[in-house]
Amino acid sequence: MKSFLEQIKPPLDISTNGHLIDYLFNYTTLLIAFFFLLVCIGLFGFSYFYSKKKHPKPFYVHGTSKKHILIVAGIASMVFIMVDMKITGISNHDFVNVFINWPEETADVVRVEVLGQQWAWNFRYPGPDGVFNTEDDIVTLNDLHLPIGQKIVFQVTAKDVIHSFYIPNTRMKLDAMPGRVSKMWVELTTPGNYEIACGQICGTFHYKMKASLEVHTKEDYQKWLKSSYERTKYTTDAVNPDVFWGWSWVASTK
Amino acid sequence: MAFFEQHIHDAPTTFLSKYVFSFDHKVIGKQFLWYGIIFLGLGGMMALLIRWTLAFPGQPFPVLGQYLFPQTNGVVPPDTYAMLFTMHGTIMIFYAITPILIGAFGNFCIPLMIGARDMVFPTLNMLSFWLAVVSAIILVASLFTPLGAAAGGWVSYPTLSLLAGSPGIGQTMWTIALFILGVSSTMGAVNYIATIITLRAPGMGYFDMPLTIWGLWLTAVLNAIFLPVLGAGLLLLTFDRVLGTTFFAAGAAATSGSGDPLLFQHVFWIFGHPEVYILILPAWGIVSDLLSFFSRKPAFGAKSTALAMTSVTLLSMLVYGHHMYTTQMSPLLTQSFMMLTMTISIPSAVFFANWLGTLWKGSIRFDTPMLFSLGVVFVFGLGGLTGLYLATVTTDIYLHDTYFVVGHFHYTMAASVLLGGFAATYFWFPKMFGRMLNEFWGKVHFWITIAGLNGVFMGMMILGYAGMHRRLYNPFIYEFLQKLIPLNTFVTVSAITMGAAQIIFVWNFIYSMFKGPVASQNPWNVGTLEWTIPSPAPHYNFKDIPIVKCGPHEIGNPNLVGRDFQYQTEEVAKA
Amino acid sequence: MTDAALDGKKIVSTVGMIVTLTSFAMLFATLMMGFAIYRFTTPVWPPQGMVRPSLLIPSLSTLSIFLSSMSYIWYEKNLKDKRGLYLTFGLGLIFMRLQFLFWSTLRSEGIFASSGIFGSIIYAFTWVHAAHIIAALLLLGWHIMQIHTNETVSENTITNIGKFWHFLGIVWAIMFLTIFVL
Ligand code: HEA
Ligand code: HEA
Ligand code: CUA
Ligand SMILES: [Cu+2]
Repeated sequence: MKSFLEQIKPPLDISTNGHLIDYLFNYTTLLIAFFFLLVCIGLFGFSYFYSKKKHPKPFYVHGTSKKHILIVAGIASMVFIMVDMKITGISNHDFVNVFINWPEETADVVRVEVLGQQWAWNFRYPGPDGVFNTEDDIVTLNDLHLPIGQKIVFQVTAKDVIHSFYIPNTRMKLDAMPGRVSKMWVELTTPGNYEIACGQICGTFHYKMKASLEVHTKEDYQKWLKSSYERTKYTTDAVNPDVFWGWSWVASTK
Repeated sequence: MAFFEQHIHDAPTTFLSKYVFSFDHKVIGKQFLWYGIIFLGLGGMMALLIRWTLAFPGQPFPVLGQYLFPQTNGVVPPDTYAMLFTMHGTIMIFYAITPILIGAFGNFCIPLMIGARDMVFPTLNMLSFWLAVVSAIILVASLFTPLGAAAGGWVSYPTLSLLAGSPGIGQTMWTIALFILGVSSTMGAVNYIATIITLRAPGMGYFDMPLTIWGLWLTAVLNAIFLPVLGAGLLLLTFDRVLGTTFFAAGAAATSGSGDPLLFQHVFWIFGHPEVYILILPAWGIVSDLLSFFSRKPAFGAKSTALAMTSVTLLSMLVYGHHMYTTQMSPLLTQSFMMLTMTISIPSAVFFANWLGTLWKGSIRFDTPMLFSLGVVFVFGLGGLTGLYLATVTTDIYLHDTYFVVGHFHYTMAASVLLGGFAATYFWFPKMFGRMLNEFWGKVHFWITIAGLNGVFMGMMILGYAGMHRRLYNPFIYEFLQKLIPLNTFVTVSAITMGAAQIIFVWNFIYSMFKGPVASQNPWNVGTLEWTIPSPAPHYNFKDIPIVKCGPHEIGNPNLVGRDFQYQTEEVAKA
Repeated sequence: MTDAALDGKKIVSTVGMIVTLTSFAMLFATLMMGFAIYRFTTPVWPPQGMVRPSLLIPSLSTLSIFLSSMSYIWYEKNLKDKRGLYLTFGLGLIFMRLQFLFWSTLRSEGIFASSGIFGSIIYAFTWVHAAHIIAALLLLGWHIMQIHTNETVSENTITNIGKFWHFLGIVWAIMFLTIFVL
């Protein structure tokens, strides 16, 4: 039985960028707490001091005088400048410089194709030849293996209905939509076993659409690649078209 | 200004023409109120089923369980769970809150508060109600179809909502029911707009209208413009399901040539975001009025409140994209939607400041309607401000489709709008039925409700931040969610508490209708036009059309003698 | 009724009609938006090697609905002789007949509602429009009945029906240009 604060903490952040989101969240909380405090002070304070008993004679004012209008306008612009501009600025900065700042796809970048289907996640690695949809691809079901310290680019789509590729530990989420390929990149920091979920309602067993995320050190990852490459030699049969659900990697536009 | 005076029809005599197929806006209003309350009950029961499943997965629902789900002896099955939250969302938004706020109080208040004898198009008004009934019948009937009701979420995105994703007839019935309801609401909107433009009592300019009317009017405008958008989307969805077109089919669902499922999301949210303001604008208006009435002083900056609501209405047309950040629109779109969404908080802050300004140096009476209005200020502060987390792209990437969103929109709808509706009910009940609701039980209702709902919805926020995503039959198959079992139980307990409070309300409502203390003509001492006539209002409302000489909030004027308020039919008192 | 009351009613019904037409306009505007998106996101139009249907019948429909609007205007000009009204009604029927002809020819040309997005658009949009035309024809029919049972018809009714009819004409014109010609 964890303490309450333990319970409400978001899952452990295992990515290089997750902290950006956590930071913005906490920052927003701070600003909003301040303004909600103002609201509460007004709400409860006035209710207390200006109740019928304490203050029988109301102050007859329409709040249309210049002074009052200025005060209101002041509060409004305070909200805009102190809250909106700030968080929009930060969010926009992170968005442009990090989250849609696609890494150059050098050899060091791990590329994975993700296919959502009712109700499972399919993963596809290009294999030694570095080309997708060939016989040497490594294909796994609900079982994603990734290294730390390397940039990882996912290209995500869905077979049947809309799903959402959700990795809580990286604070990342991306809709997987039939008929279009969307992409997302992360870089991981902490080895271990984590969970991948489906964020978008996709039918009765949406809640069961869960995959495991195994994060390795670089070396272990190479080991895993080798072993599973050996395995695929025997498992994938060249004639079965169903095996080749992948697509030729969409080159990053940038 | 009134362009013409409706003449007095003689009172309907037969039971049918009086209570069933009535042209009288007041009767239609009451009909909508019952309609709304019944569906509030239904949707609420569904909510409790949902909550039970989340707190005690795999345990039979007490009492009702074994009758509802005999095959699983009382446990909610996963497919049923999907139907439950889909129907819960649909029912609560379109069949509970909309009828109560817009259907009931729109119909009841507009003619009374602008000094008219009825809506301009009484027949259209009646039609609109009975169409809503037809739609409700179809929706409820869909629950009993072989494959069950719609289960794709209240947004019912394709391709899940296409035949491939949900083969049952239920989804089709859902689509058609919503289309019909859309037609009905559009009729209502036409009526409201025309009435407010053409039938305002002589002397009543737009800024002499009570803010309630402002809210309802802006709502009607949004309805008239954006319900057809949803209508178009639903039509295409129906064609896809029934007539084999392929607008939204893609991937495996697409047999030949592929459409674009994303188009539906765009269409849905072009309507969907205005819809959320459609729900809350009347509540804002009502609260702005009641705060002034019960602080016994004029509404602070009433004009700027009205203008603020108007600008929210305009902005609401430009921000829908914030529901689709994770679909990876073009970055430029994403950024502009983020910016535009943010600007909405400016007008919101304006009327928040005005609300507080109204309380400031007032002489506040804490009657039940006032309690609920103050409650709205509190919960909408929370609901609105939490919208900002979702408005920023990066945080939304994490929070999207988690319970944080669920918490946000329950705070705004299930808390703010619901409480607004209750405030209105307690306030206008005397004018509706000529009797007062019980004050004591009203206060009990308020305190339990506000305690319960904060438990529920704050709980949801925390769950969301802890990463729990939406529409999960059993969250606890995920390790990272198992620590949340106690919190979920707490939320469920709060929900049950809140539900219980509503039973108090319904009992109070029914009892007071017949046995409540008889209401005077003007129990709250306010000056808007509906209080210049007897309670309950006679079928022709005003024997002769009033002449308006001052604004709706002329209260606490020191120059007044005898009473501390004046009717809108009187010149502003001067020393 | 007093004059004041009369033009009061006039204003009211005008306001009502304007709002109603705005709603209808939004319905069709949404369809058009959908079309635009499909149109500009697909490299070649019509997609999947479809061939455009021949323009003959659609042009005839356009002509008939245009003439019907004209004749209605004529009717509104001099309410005395009813030929304008009948002509409008007749041309409206012809338009519907042409639509059915059009759909059957589409099928014979191998364009089905289920055959890809192109077919879907052509069928669905014409269906929706035709549904409105039928409604409008019913209105016209009802108005003709009114005349025959010679009850007093207020000018509002006539102008409002007119507004609706012209509106549908304009919508058709736009649809004709966008999804058939361009
Ligand atoms: C009545 C309903 C209602 C209202 C009013 C709002 C209001 C707002 N909503 Fe909400 N929203 C919904 C209903 C509503 N929403 C629903 C139903 C959904 C989800 C649908 C679904 O996915 O199922 C949703 C989802 C939703 C999302 C998508 C989340 C996601 O799916 O990922 C976003 C993102 O931007 C958002 C933002 C906002 C914002 C910025 C406001 C703004 O209008 C808020 C403005 C108000 C304030 C900013 C507070 C007032 C200002 C102050 C208190 C300042 C202090 C003042 C003083 C000191 C005097 N909402
Ligand atoms: C205005 C709208 C509204 C309202 C009022 C509510 C009210 C409540 N909602 Fe709802 N909810 C939605 C709109 C609303 N909700 C929407 C749009 C969704 C999204 C659906 C989707 O995902 O697609 C949703 C989803 C949703 C979920 C998420 C489901 C999921 O994602 O898995 C949950 C879970 O706890 C929930 C709970 C509740 C609770 C506990 C209440 C409580 O406030 C209920 C309290 C009320 C009662 C308990 C009943 C009242 C009783 C009476 C009136 C007396 C009885 C009367 C008679 C018999 C006549 N709601
Ligand atoms: Cu896949 Cu939800
Ligand atoms: Cu929104």
